Amino acid sequence: MRASGGFAAKMGSALRLTVVATALIGLGCQVKLVADYDEITDRSVTALQREFERFFVEVERKIGTPEADHANYVDFYDGVRAELGVIRVRAAARPKNEITIRQLDLLAENVDNLEALHELGFDDPEELEPLRSAFQQSFQAILTLELAKKRGQ
Amino acid sequence: MAIKVSSLAKEMFEASRTVLEDSWPEIKDYAKAEFKKIAESMAMIARLRAAGKLTQKKARLHLEIQKNASRMVLLTVEGLGIIAVERAINAALGAVRDTVNTAVGFRLV
Repeated sequence: MRASGGFAAKMGSALRLTVVATALIGLGCQVKLVADYDEITDRSVTALQREFERFFVEVERKIGTPEADHANYVDFYDGVRAELGVIRVRAAARPKNEITIRQLDLLAENVDNLEALHELGFDDPEELEPLRSAFQQSFQAILTLELAKKRGQ
Repeated sequence: MAIKVSSLAKEMFEASRTVLEDSWPEIKDYAKAEFKKIAESMAMIARLRAAGKLTQKKARLHLEIQKNASRMVLLTVEGLGIIAVERAINAALGAVRDTVNTAVGFRLV
């Protein structure tokens, strides 16, 4: 009897210690409110930014000629939309990544707006400046957040 | 050894406050710099419109692009803020771990 009472007491203590330890280990786990850094997203967004830089350099050089017309850049718009789609799918597959997803959606909207402008025609190189700046800032915004997710890694 | 709640809470508060105070200047500088650039772009759009170089339709599209860029910047500010809060929470939990380990008398966590 004494042996079984002792055993029960030990089991009770072990159970209590396990519950406390689990709670405290839970406290010991790091809280994560935002997704982790993703190198592929970083590289993909950087590569996309490079394409937009090239686009603006080219269009600026060709402006005032038929070569700058939208018809010559349909592949560019299709291509960047496809790449954005791939990046977004990857971003959406990662938990706690809602902010980056929203940024990518806004960037996609701006691609549509840029194409709509292009269809109307770019007549003056000055017109490209605020566009180039907006896209540079957009990419910088996405990458600034992505790099911040490193959290000192 | 009993845990004193008020001391524990103060420790947690101080640990998290330090982290938030350190993070805010960087977030603020980023936001200020980015919004200055956006303001400059908007001024340029207004100037181009006034000079007759942009139709109303084009000016609207330009403005939409700037608005979306602003939204992206604000989302980054939000994200940086959340990461700062996350670090603050983890700093506060770190303070709790040390105090709890001392209270139980061994390295439980």
